[in-house]
Amino acid sequence: MHEVPPRHRLRALATTLAVALTMTLAAAAGCDNRREPPLPSVLDKLRESHIDGQSKIKIGVATTEPLMGELRNGIHTGFDVEIARYVAASLGFAGDQRIQWVPLATEDRIPALQGGTVDLIVSSFSITEERKKLVSFAGPYFVTTQEVLVPKRLRDHIRTIEDLRKPGYRICTSGGSTTETELERHQVKAYVVKEVGDCVKGMREGRYEAVSSDETILAGFLSQYPTEFELVDMPFGTSELLGVGVPIGDPALRDLVAFFLQKSYLEGRNGISSPWLTAYNRTLGPWLKADKSQPQPLDVPKLVDFDDKAPRR
Amino acid sequence: MTAPVATAPDAAAHTPQAAPVHDPAERRARASQSFWTAVVGVPAVFSVLRLGVEAGGELQTTLLLVANVGTVNLLAGFLTTAARLLSTGLVAVFALGAVLRVSVERMPPGVRRPVFARWVDITPAWFVLASFLLALATWPLLYLPLLVPAFVAAFQLSPERLHEQPTPRLLLLGAGFAGYLWLLGPTLLDAWQQRELLAVVLLVVPLVLALFVTGPLPAAVIRPLASITEAAVLAMLVWAALPVISTPVLPLTVTTVESSPGVTEDVRGHVVTVDDVNMVLLQERGGVRYVPIGQVRAQVLCPSEEELPRRQLRVRDFHVEDSLLEGLGRRVRPVHRIDAACRTVD
Repeated sequence: MHEVPPRHRLRALATTLAVALTMTLAAAAGCDNRREPPLPSVLDKLRESHIDGQSKIKIGVATTEPLMGELRNGIHTGFDVEIARYVAASLGFAGDQRIQWVPLATEDRIPALQGGTVDLIVSSFSITEERKKLVSFAGPYFVTTQEVLVPKRLRDHIRTIEDLRKPGYRICTSGGSTTETELERHQVKAYVVKEVGDCVKGMREGRYEAVSSDETILAGFLSQYPTEFELVDMPFGTSELLGVGVPIGDPALRDLVAFFLQKSYLEGRNGISSPWLTAYNRTLGPWLKADKSQPQPLDVPKLVDFDDKAPRR
Repeated sequence: MTAPVATAPDAAAHTPQAAPVHDPAERRARASQSFWTAVVGVPAVFSVLRLGVEAGGELQTTLLLVANVGTVNLLAGFLTTAARLLSTGLVAVFALGAVLRVSVERMPPGVRRPVFARWVDITPAWFVLASFLLALATWPLLYLPLLVPAFVAAFQLSPERLHEQPTPRLLLLGAGFAGYLWLLGPTLLDAWQQRELLAVVLLVVPLVLALFVTGPLPAAVIRPLASITEAAVLAMLVWAALPVISTPVLPLTVTTVESSPGVTEDVRGHVVTVDDVNMVLLQERGGVRYVPIGQVRAQVLCPSEEELPRRQLRVRDFHVEDSLLEGLGRRVRPVHRIDAACRTVD
């Protein structure tokens, strides 16, 4: 046998190593192709959630808040309701025949979630630290501010928070709301009733001079009585983050709702008409002073879904 | 191979002698006949096996499927799901065979050549190229870099063939790598941030290996490598064939059935056949259901769980687990919506 030059020997060694490594990589690729996905999928989370196997999903909504959650001629309408329909359809409950709407007053929201009366709440539910101890939130899906609705005759008299403190003015708000707390913080004495709608009714009957609540809720009543009332922008300071309420014992459902809100957010950010934008344009959009966009949801889990491979651009 | 055991008198008259054939042209013709028999026979056998698995092992259900699934549909379905496996097997054989073929020259004359080397000897170059093209179109993007060393090995394209002078050769290689990194830069960064180390290795290392994969192997490793690779490729094919056999033949649907007024039920399964009276559904949980056609209210197509992606990595907006064909297809139909019924019905 002839002598192999050292250069050729080195080259042959490199070839051997290269062939062996390529085969190892190919084997690693083959094993990788068969392993379980490292990230949980939407289906995994659905199976973990308590709604798995239910024929209907129970969603708590308001029925007396125009533009947000209203029951009109037996049909639920409003921004919150549209968001609820999107979330329900994403979870596998498409169409009103698969949704059980549960009318809820503001103060009944937390007990309803805790007692299992509802699976979700989409009803101008502000995310607060206090509430987070009792229920879970997915979102926010809307950022709103606290405003005041006054009769047109008083629009030049009630302009500031200071004006609200004047003894001659009776201010109304709904019980169990963040507005009530905020008014207390500003030393504004308020009459607390069950629903914002009761406040508006009372204002029309001359029992109150102003109603304080979220801008979204007040915009709804403004849309009902555009010639009677006016929205007054007041510097309450804090903005309200509206979220979808979920039972605290079902983190999988919270993750799913957050994931689908994020999906809508990403669609909107990419310039595609998102479910959120459609809901907004059909309800709140025409009545708010400034155009709003969907806020980015917080604590969104990484989940894989069937449409993950679809082009993003 | 021996002569036929029994032949018709006419056929015998045309065959003057029954001795083994040594004529290379006839051997080639027989090899070609065997090849095409395998090309038709293997998918046919696989398809029947798949029908048996699809039917849940039930004889009557298998017969129902056999009666209703057309041969052409079955073969087309088989090729759709098995093209990746087929091309992987061919690419592995041709790449390893070419390396062994150039190495075998170092072995003493008269020693039997490794099987893969002999297969490469008799395979036309166009078929090898077609196998690589099939792999290029059907392999997931993440594994496509592995095709580079395989291609270089199969055609023995050493870097020296780029240019005879070292400096221009290095410049050409450098430019090639720079272009590759430009293409994959964002993906590599994303993979690194997601701690997908295997993805980083699979995207980068094969290109480096391609520089060294050509040329003869040391004589001492040829024989063990030939034996190991033959066993490994066979094991790989068997291992990878199992999921192919269990891949459904019929598309998955959810059918909404209204069995009595106002009472609807969603049935998850595969539509076997539809006629004027019934829709025959092979339920995913098992069992066949004949649904009167008047009770069918809706039907949606659903993806199966095996289609869920494992990673969240993209190469220029192409998902790394998509093949080039799939990626291009998604650009033709970019919107992908999962029907709600697919999520809730198990």
